[in-house]
Amino acid sequence: MVNGYMATSLREALEIRAAHDVVPYGGGTDLMIAADTSLTYLYVNRIPEMKQIAVDDAYVRIGASCTFTEVLASPLVPPLMKAAVEQIGAPAIRNGGTMGGNIGNGSAKADSVLIEFVLGAKLRLASVRGERIVPIEAFYKGRKQLDLAKDELIVEILLPKDADYEWYYEKVGARRALAISRISFAGLLRCDGDVITDFATAFGAVAGTVLRFPDVEAMVIGKTKAEVKAMHDAIVAAYGDHIVPTAGRVSKEYRKDVCLNLVDDFLTSKGL
Amino acid sequence: MDTKIHFTLNGKPVTYDGNASNRLLDVLRDYYKLTGTKCGCKEGECGACSIIMDGELINSCMVAMGRCEGADIMTIEGFSETERFKVIDKAYGAVSAVQCGYCIPGMVMATEALLRKHPHPTEEEIRDGLSGNLCRCTGYNAIVRAVGIAAKEGNGLW
Repeated sequence: MVNGYMATSLREALEIRAAHDVVPYGGGTDLMIAADTSLTYLYVNRIPEMKQIAVDDAYVRIGASCTFTEVLASPLVPPLMKAAVEQIGAPAIRNGGTMGGNIGNGSAKADSVLIEFVLGAKLRLASVRGERIVPIEAFYKGRKQLDLAKDELIVEILLPKDADYEWYYEKVGARRALAISRISFAGLLRCDGDVITDFATAFGAVAGTVLRFPDVEAMVIGKTKAEVKAMHDAIVAAYGDHIVPTAGRVSKEYRKDVCLNLVDDFLTSKGL
Repeated sequence: MDTKIHFTLNGKPVTYDGNASNRLLDVLRDYYKLTGTKCGCKEGECGACSIIMDGELINSCMVAMGRCEGADIMTIEGFSETERFKVIDKAYGAVSAVQCGYCIPGMVMATEALLRKHPHPTEEEIRDGLSGNLCRCTGYNAIVRAVGIAAKEGNGLW
């Protein structure tokens, strides 16, 4: 083709990415909304290294070119990720859209990215110069600002393998299908007996990137469930102090109220 | 380097030598004159442009031509020559599931994709299978009924 490259191996894709001014193309479901026929796309859909879902000692590794439909069909992907992915778009969008594209589009509304934040996922990036592993939070520097060099590709998403946690997930949108998140929220809780050993929350579609609040999470970690339950209102209030939403399709006030309602419901649903 | 894009369109091998960043939807309609595939929104929201690409339901407005290299693409024109289409066509007609008709080619492709995965779908599976296809006339219930009838009448075809 004249103005496009269909790579069939990672090596080939990285060489093209280094040598030409190309836009990586996963499923096209974000890119084609503002289709620009002057762009040259690098199609990454047929690269075997980017199409696999596998497990190693530490991670569930999801190839960046896996579609949402493929993620939903894999027994290796944790239920929390599936809960978010099954709410993306509609069947035809899930058949096209990819995990890497959801990240590369750079939006804080990306439904799978919220889960990557709450799980503390990492990304494997590659270029002809070599590879690096970057935590998802460091990868997002701001709205549409990614720690991705001009010659790099997102190759894999690394989710921590241990799925021995309780979770909570809600997406608030204007309709059931084909909805862009107005607010999305995920919560994770890990306990050893009565003691909370891990607690994480992530808020999507609220600001320029997905938000985590380690200070507030630290209020909970290490305490007993009874102690946290007694602090319920103070924890919700602490989130209220931290969340500074940006206005967008919905008002700041609405965003903040819904965020706090979701935190309240997450805690309550876990007996906290 | 071969500058053409090779793919299968409704069972026939074709080559396309235009801009690889053009939308498949536009190329189907304007270059191949397959106007059964409709354009509703060009942002993946309405499903009027649904086709089946490599066995999966896809919005053709969301596909750049370069992505079609080596792909197998079926539009409503190709599907309308099958036995399964006849069953779906008859079922939609039986319950007046069509009013203005603009969404129907996409609805039919979504029905085919759904029945391939779920030959005997529940109502929930039907509604999920059609959830990416908007219809502004019927209120959907007749379409959902038609898909149920097609699944029953076409028993064994899927």
